[in-house]
Amino acid sequence: MSEIKSESISSLVDNYSPSTDESISAHLVDNMLKDEDLSSTWQNYHLIGDVLRDEVPQSLQLDLSETISAAIAQEATILSPNSSMKTSGKNSHLSKQESASISNNSTEQQTNSVVDATNRFKAKISNLIKPMGQVAIAASAAALMIVGVQNNVTDNSSITPSQVVQTVPLSGYANPVSFNVQSSQGQQSQQSKQQAQQAMNEQLASERVAQQRRLQALLKDHNQQVKLGSNIK
Amino acid sequence: MKLSAFFLLLLSFNVSAMTADKESAKLSLERLSNSLRQLNFSTSFVVVKNNQAEPYHWLHGIGENEQELEIFTRLNGPRLDVLRQGDVVSYIEPDQEPYSIISSDVRSPIPTIFRGDISELEESYRFISVGRSRILGRVAQLIRVVSKDKYRYNYWLWLDQKTGLLLKMAVLTRQGQLLEQIQFTHIEVDEQLSENLKQFQLTELPAVIDLTMQRQNKALSWQVGWLPQGFSVVKSNQHKINSHNRGRDKAVEFMLFSDGLVEVSVYVNPSQEKFRAPEFASDGATMVFNQILQGIEVGVVGDIPLATAKKIAESISPAIIDNAKANDLSSKGDQKHD
Repeated sequence: MSEIKSESISSLVDNYSPSTDESISAHLVDNMLKDEDLSSTWQNYHLIGDVLRDEVPQSLQLDLSETISAAIAQEATILSPNSSMKTSGKNSHLSKQESASISNNSTEQQTNSVVDATNRFKAKISNLIKPMGQVAIAASAAALMIVGVQNNVTDNSSITPSQVVQTVPLSGYANPVSFNVQSSQGQQSQQSKQQAQQAMNEQLASERVAQQRRLQALLKDHNQQVKLGSNIK
Repeated sequence: MKLSAFFLLLLSFNVSAMTADKESAKLSLERLSNSLRQLNFSTSFVVVKNNQAEPYHWLHGIGENEQELEIFTRLNGPRLDVLRQGDVVSYIEPDQEPYSIISSDVRSPIPTIFRGDISELEESYRFISVGRSRILGRVAQLIRVVSKDKYRYNYWLWLDQKTGLLLKMAVLTRQGQLLEQIQFTHIEVDEQLSENLKQFQLTELPAVIDLTMQRQNKALSWQVGWLPQGFSVVKSNQHKINSHNRGRDKAVEFMLFSDGLVEVSVYVNPSQEKFRAPEFASDGATMVFNQILQGIEVGVVGDIPLATAKKIAESISPAIIDNAKANDLSSKGDQKHD
């Protein structure tokens, strides 16, 4: 079995296909690539052929295929599946022709590396763009939140100082208060006038104060209505 | 009796873990409701909102004739008390004459529903039992009351394992931002009615005010077109609110809605101004929203997110047209919706 194989490898090395069918020789090459023994046989036959033809270079590089496959392994990782398919195809083609002539091989490798470089560049860009998009979305969301919070905060501060409750002790609730509700409301509006003056002194816009009061009045009435409303349920 | 209990046990094993979890959450809330109505307790808590802390004292007990007695007192600033003897609830507030009303509800920082029928909340909220933690030096069970839609806030309740009482409560937005917190600082449960409440039992409360006028739900010329699922009308009326900026009262049409946990007030009145940009402020979890569109001033107040308040305000439309004035207003209202 292995003898038949080595025979067909030998004919492959001599650039004769063992059979006329292309697919069988392709199958053989595939097998050879998988099997370490067969590929070393392939290597040895080439070496033998080189020595016989006196084509051995000054410095022997016996492990050329290994360095190439190592280089391929390093490059293949970054690429997208489509481009890696392409390169692996080229590489198998390369290993088939590899030892036919070293110079030929080196040009092949160069073009290959150019293709790899462009692919790697594309992959890098797409890898870069993806997280950038995510970051942009997150950043815009954060910005929205900040705007929202700032809005809230300013409005909080606008409503806290205007608490009607706080102004009451100034005029003294401890003093006897008239039983007439209307008059107590009059008092309130006086207080609110005082408040308004204070606000002017503090150079607050009068519109802002009016707004506070409107909202304060609504809040107060809401609280009141909720208390009374409980009666109806 | 024992046999039925055994069957119940078997049944409870059969239901899935999810429903069991939900059931246990509901049971905890029902226990809270019972504890708040039946126990003699004396507690203190702090309401934290707007970067301020307000301390309260809260006493509750069962007096003679099974009458519930209750005192809420705000401890900082002017007096703010809520007193209760059975059905009579008195409010003592700084800028108002003390008054009493006949009511089963007590309006305090603690939502009324937690002492009522919890199942009323099931339409709009889910109950989730989350886990145990340590609050106020006690073992507490955390129950989340989670809104089923995005129009409401979520409520987290930490309940005492031993007594079932509330130990901590937090109001959060759907995004998890904390708006308001109630942290209990002291809890004491007693077999006996406390001395304070014994004395309070003999105290006469302020006169009960007549609310028959309040009770009439008058037909209004405006209606709310949209509300989150689960809200229903509590009442509607026309009354005056004190509008400080003009120094006189302003007549408004008023509607109050509730989903059991949250109340939302809607105020509508024609305004001399044609337009005013939406303005809003928040007091803890309570949102106050106001705007004038096409000469109609709309105010929305309640413990709801701004987007919900805005959506409610924008859904205001004229009700049945019965006179020229209403007709005029309605045409304006129609324009508003364009």
